[in-house]
Amino acid sequence: MTTNDNKLVTTRRNVLFGVGAAGSALATGMTTARAAEKQGGQVTDAPVSDKTQERQSFYGLHQAGIVTPRPAAGMIASFHVLAETPADVERLFRTLSSRIAFLMQGGTPPELDDKLPPPDSGLLGPVVPPDNLTITVSLGSSFFDDRDWLAPHKPARLSRMKASRNDALDADLCHGDLALQISSNTPDTNIHALRDVLKNLPDLMVLRWKQEGSVPVLPPKPDGAHESARNFLGFRDGSANPDANNNALMDKIVWVPENGTEPEWTRGGSYQAVRIIRNFVERWDRTPLGEQERIIGRKKATGAPHGGGNTEHDVPDYSKDPEGTVTPLDAHIRLANFRTKASEANLILRRPFNYSNGVSKSGQLEQGLLFICYQADLEKGFITVQRQLDGEPLEEYIKPIGGGFFFTPPGAQDESDFVGRTLLEAAGHDVVRKS
Amino acid sequence: MKLKLVLSVSLLTLAAAALPRMANAEVAPLDLVQPIADYKIYVSENLETLVTDTKAFTDAVKAGDVDKAKSLFGSTRMSYEAIEPIAELFSDLDGSIDSRADDHEKAEKDPEFTGFHRIEYGLFTENSTKDLGPFADKLMADVTELNKRVTDLTLPPEKVVGGAAALMEEVAATKISGEEDRYSHTDLWDFKANFDGSRKIFDLVRPLVEKEDSAFVTKVSGNFDKVDTTLAKYKTADGYELYDKLTEDDRAVLAAAVNTLAEDLSTLRGKLGLN
Repeated sequence: MTTNDNKLVTTRRNVLFGVGAAGSALATGMTTARAAEKQGGQVTDAPVSDKTQERQSFYGLHQAGIVTPRPAAGMIASFHVLAETPADVERLFRTLSSRIAFLMQGGTPPELDDKLPPPDSGLLGPVVPPDNLTITVSLGSSFFDDRDWLAPHKPARLSRMKASRNDALDADLCHGDLALQISSNTPDTNIHALRDVLKNLPDLMVLRWKQEGSVPVLPPKPDGAHESARNFLGFRDGSANPDANNNALMDKIVWVPENGTEPEWTRGGSYQAVRIIRNFVERWDRTPLGEQERIIGRKKATGAPHGGGNTEHDVPDYSKDPEGTVTPLDAHIRLANFRTKASEANLILRRPFNYSNGVSKSGQLEQGLLFICYQADLEKGFITVQRQLDGEPLEEYIKPIGGGFFFTPPGAQDESDFVGRTLLEAAGHDVVRKS
Repeated sequence: MKLKLVLSVSLLTLAAAALPRMANAEVAPLDLVQPIADYKIYVSENLETLVTDTKAFTDAVKAGDVDKAKSLFGSTRMSYEAIEPIAELFSDLDGSIDSRADDHEKAEKDPEFTGFHRIEYGLFTENSTKDLGPFADKLMADVTELNKRVTDLTLPPEKVVGGAAALMEEVAATKISGEEDRYSHTDLWDFKANFDGSRKIFDLVRPLVEKEDSAFVTKVSGNFDKVDTTLAKYKTADGYELYDKLTEDDRAVLAAAVNTLAEDLSTLRGKLGLN
């Protein structure tokens, strides 16, 4: 009898002995269900997490939420900005930064007279936990175009997202003057943060659209290895992502460099591309496994590329497969990344979430990918990669319906600083650093 | 900060039972008597106008005069929209006078769907007064009944003061999108009336708040002014442009002003010590 079999017998005995055998169950090790019962768990008890005190720093050269490992819940919220004058834009930036700093740090909101509306929604309780929250502020092309005094300072590669050939863009889900990427361990923390921002800036920002998403969680691997999460097509997504812990690589791929062709104020910032990509999951699920794997270019179970390799981290060698007999030439991963010396210029850092919204008029699931990526050069990055993907076989199963292009300014350096300061200074607006 | 909760001033000696217990010692309870009385007059005047206008409107419907009925639709509603917080105290009448198709299971075809928007649907979507007679009669009867009930009503101060914010919440939640007058697109008339009704309440209690918090008063007035300026762009000889003329930018300006007014006016009751 193996150890596993022993456990099985113990479990069976507990079940067989039932409630009356509580004592012996304790002695032999309780099943999970019985342990919960023993602790007096009730159906409406809050689920327990030991991650609510996880905290990311708001301050730094770069904004948080870009190379920060992606947590389980994410959201993009896009706004129309009403601030027109430098003074109002400064108030917008400062207020955003101070709210984000508080929310990411966590703490107790001020107490007011109970005849007044409370300053905090309270949905996370009287003390706001950080819960691994990051809020990343990004600016759309229209933010610059609609303000004469900012237009000359627009990031060189920032443009309004144009429809690709497979897109069916819904105007109500596209673009925006300002976007917030909010991510944390739980959807509730993200919602709390969004409501806080809305409540604190009603006169300067009007919400236009938002999309929430999630990432399936995995149990920790015994050897500590990392795996990419799966998207709603059931494939690992992010296997070929560049190493976000490699600062030199991030400087090349993600952050706007010094001495480039970009305005000086953008240094340390990044371009953000957001796409709401609907997946026709019913149809996908009715597609033969082999065809799915040919379309993507990977094995579904492991994420390994075709032609050898056991894990998603194995790298396909296209130089030995010029005809596409191993990995089809139009496979998604092959078109997205040619894996040549030249194509290194087109690398992007992806940070996507899966979304699920409801049911289409045809009775199909409205779900897909809230695609988010960051790059130092939007044109060489997302725009080029998307152009390579145009016409791919995967298009039959996906339909981009929304999103936008944004520029993510550099981070706030410390408490006296705020996100967007370098832009205001570049535009000749005197900013007083104060805490 | 003077908003801090202070010991309640005893009001046991006051005869007016409707007066609230004042938590904010800076505003004397009797100070609210005059504003509430003035508001009652404002409501009465609006209801009289509503009865008169509804008579003309429903007469046109019953006479089969589609064009005239259409032209009276937007203006007739204004006196109702201006005093909506009070009209809504009678949920049966508010339902039969001002409910929308989506409040009813079978939408436009639902027999329970009556009132302004049912008639609006007939006039603007079906371009006809056919079968609208009974709806016209019912609307007239409901409006008359509303006037009668409000005449006998002692206005609860917290409903009056809270009404300033409630009107903004209505606009913010279900009107800014243009879904209220979806057949006629006369939403800007409604906006104007909602804002005027909210501002009336604010203006009546303004002297009581001004002493305490002049920055608040300045900010709220500024936002009301912003709304007026924006809406004025859409003024026509006899009313307002249709909702589809509202530009994306102006809609955002209105939305931001509404949201800000809703946030700020949500503190008005507390500032006056009302529960």
